[in-house]
Amino acid sequence: APALVRTAAARTTTITIASLLGDDKPETKIWVKISELVEAKLPGQFKFNIVKSGALGGEKEVAEGVRLGSIHAGLSTVSSLSGWAPELQILDLPFLFRDADHVRRTVSGDVGADLKGKLQAQNFVVGDFINYGARHLLTKEPVTRPEQLKGKRIRVIQSPLHTKLWSAFGTTPIGIPITETYNALATGVADAMDLTKSAYAGFKLYEVVPYMTETGHIWASGIIYYSSTFWGGLNDEQKAVFQQASTEGAAYFNQLIVDDEAASVEISLKNGGKLLKPEALEEWQKGAQGVWDDFAPVVGGLDRIKAIQSA
Amino acid sequence: MAASEFHPAEQETTGDGLAARILRAIEGVLGVSAALVLAMLLFMVLVTVCMRYFFAAGFIGAEDLGIWLHVLLIALGAPLSLNSALAMRLDVFVNMLPERLRPVTQIAADVFTVLSGLILSFGGNEIMTMLGGISPTLGVPEWIRFGFLGVGGALILIVLLLQRIVEGKALPVLLSIAIGAAFYAGIPFVSVELDWPPSIFLGLIAAIGLVLAAPLPHAFLAAAYVVIAFGSSLPEPAIVSSTVTGISKFLLLAIPFFLLAGGLLTASGVANQLVRFAAAMVGHRRAGLAQTTLLTSVLFSGASGSSVANAAFGASTFQPELVRHGYPPAKAAAIIAATSVLDNVIPPSIAFLILATATNLSVGSLLVGGFFAGGLMAICLAVAIHLTVRDQAPLPRATSVQRWQSAIQAIPAFGLGVIVVVGIRIGIVTTTEAAALAAFYTFLLGIGARLGVLSLYAAFRQAAVEAAAIGLLIGTAGPFAFLLAVDDVSGLISHLTTVLGGSALAVILLSNVILLVVGLVLDIGAAILLFGPILLPAAVAAGIDPIHFGVIIVVNLMIHGLTPPLGMLIFVVSGVTRIPASALFKAVVPYLLALLVSLAVLCAWAIIF
Ligand code: NA
Ligand code: NA
Repeated sequence: APALVRTAAARTTTITIASLLGDDKPETKIWVKISELVEAKLPGQFKFNIVKSGALGGEKEVAEGVRLGSIHAGLSTVSSLSGWAPELQILDLPFLFRDADHVRRTVSGDVGADLKGKLQAQNFVVGDFINYGARHLLTKEPVTRPEQLKGKRIRVIQSPLHTKLWSAFGTTPIGIPITETYNALATGVADAMDLTKSAYAGFKLYEVVPYMTETGHIWASGIIYYSSTFWGGLNDEQKAVFQQASTEGAAYFNQLIVDDEAASVEISLKNGGKLLKPEALEEWQKGAQGVWDDFAPVVGGLDRIKAIQSA
Repeated sequence: MAASEFHPAEQETTGDGLAARILRAIEGVLGVSAALVLAMLLFMVLVTVCMRYFFAAGFIGAEDLGIWLHVLLIALGAPLSLNSALAMRLDVFVNMLPERLRPVTQIAADVFTVLSGLILSFGGNEIMTMLGGISPTLGVPEWIRFGFLGVGGALILIVLLLQRIVEGKALPVLLSIAIGAAFYAGIPFVSVELDWPPSIFLGLIAAIGLVLAAPLPHAFLAAAYVVIAFGSSLPEPAIVSSTVTGISKFLLLAIPFFLLAGGLLTASGVANQLVRFAAAMVGHRRAGLAQTTLLTSVLFSGASGSSVANAAFGASTFQPELVRHGYPPAKAAAIIAATSVLDNVIPPSIAFLILATATNLSVGSLLVGGFFAGGLMAICLAVAIHLTVRDQAPLPRATSVQRWQSAIQAIPAFGLGVIVVVGIRIGIVTTTEAAALAAFYTFLLGIGARLGVLSLYAAFRQAAVEAAAIGLLIGTAGPFAFLLAVDDVSGLISHLTTVLGGSALAVILLSNVILLVVGLVLDIGAAILLFGPILLPAAVAAGIDPIHFGVIIVVNLMIHGLTPPLGMLIFVVSGVTRIPASALFKAVVPYLLALLVSLAVLCAWAIIF
């Protein structure tokens, strides 16, 4: 093979990183932050090629690319990785977590360590856990109590956990990709959905589902992850630097999400969106009980769920 | 009356040698399997709709199951399309060569196909061990979906080998296989270190395949593999996974359904009634039927968001009728291709949804913009049709009684439009479901017209093979789009726009030039995702309304469905009508110009107001 003379630049390892959104979003900013932290400690050793705007595919395609060797790192919600590590769904259980702190304590403790091990076994090396914020209920008509949902068609992501939850409230779940969701809600294929506050404003959904009930039913947890092949090629010093940068990146990301949510709420309210508080919280929680029972065997038992709940 | 009367099924295998008999048997089995998968797909989507409305129940695995079956359909149908117009070969350059060079170019072109078949089979196999994961909705391993295409790759190799033997080209095809295998085995050991981004080499190698008349999807795949030697970051299994990912979209299921609807509409004779009605109304005018095709396309656009589906529908429904009424086949097909551009401009539109996702523009506002832009484009096309269609003898003017009769007879055909428009507009169903309902409706029309089992089978097989050819092209463009994204070709252009950073006129001009170049080689969806977010800030800074600019981006890129070398709409229409793509690229020029005029008007508007 005609190998040319290697230049100094050739010693730089280029890392291909997938971001689902654009420059100004936390999903991309976190990688800029991590790259700066790594560059400060290991100057000239790594070049971060952050490919933005979902140009390398959605969460699942990126995860597949990481396993097949075309992508080195990315972010993902845990629910997109549950096909590889079903135990992750413990973080997706509805009405389990009270607030962001509760989530953070859980993923920083034994449960998080255990999940990291499960992901490692699937060739995903976890940098750290991140928090995309809570999912809230979005509807065309005001809904504050679960019985008001009966008979509605609700857009869900393709996941048995979400389907099970919304079926328990007497709704008909319809799987619609997020790009088609605006249209589906505008034309009435669906009357409701659930999403985080940032994404609600990002997709301008206040135009079609103006009522947001702050149910906070599911906390969208995610991870920063690296391919195990890439990780295996790092020396111990580099591993420590990436680990530290990921932890700082995660804290930065979580703060960006909190700020973004506040801004998103402001935009939504200005454009006709309305915020509602859920009533009869115990009724909502009762609806979720079936999901806990169903998923207990997959996520490590009902006792483990209860332990997280009371932690 | 079978659908095959209008567009005969892919070339019949003749001869009674052993190879011919084996090939016929394989083609028979593949044809039946592909038709069955399409029938299952249709059944499944219809059941989902019924469950939702009659039992208020959801079936969450339905979407994934649909996607899996669609991938299987493509794997089974792709080998059947290999040696027909459906293969999407650009033969214009090869035809310029002297006769004695043709065997050499065919051997070279077949090398691309061999390489592609090897990549699909072995890459699919590697995915089996590397991918892992269980589909949460279906409960079976994820690799199966990718494995379908692995089997498809092996079938492509077998069909190619047998076909050439039947043609008496045993030695040349063995040579192709030997060279292809040598490339396949050798590439991992070659490393060419140049400073150019691998995506440029991918483009160049695919272009060589294109010039040699290799089937475009196979040229893409082979090139994606060869550039591994040029430092591509896509290893073999990732090439296959990126291909499968490209076709794993629920929305794409609308394509086989609309193809089936078109085939059955024609086979049942109902299309004739629609055309008879159109002829009675405007047939006495110059280009009356072509104008009706345009109007139908506008109405169709209001119901679907996919230009590819519209092109396939028009090509199987209207093109044969236009030809029967005296239009030259290439011109008829060019009109179909040009009018199908409207589909992604007039709402609903997949293109606008992608743009809105990538740029945070309001979908609602974009769709309103698209509505006006689509109207303008339709008017420009109407004028172009009026000016270009002269040689066709007009029909005698119909009496009012004839008009009424033809209108009543056309009611079943109008019913199809009603299903699609009402279904989506009133919000009962999604685009894919509306397409399935349309296919089912035409199936009932076929039963009503007493179509025999064989005719129905022919229509299902036809639609399945056509959809497979189109799906394979969409998928194989995936690795290219991936590498362009990794190589940050968009970043380079972003830099250019900033350097220019001046007036609205300057930004509009530069943006259009960039989009015109980008659109030559890039899939529309990928182009929007990559370049929408880059060009928009420059436009906003220059004081251009972002919505208006977004409409310009989509209109510009949609026009590329008609331009070589990668005119997707031309290839779709060529695939269905069996007219060579090169002839269509020539015939479409007047309509292309008309659309460019409408683009110019949109740009002028953006600068002035
Ligand atoms: Na449309
Ligand atoms: Na083109």
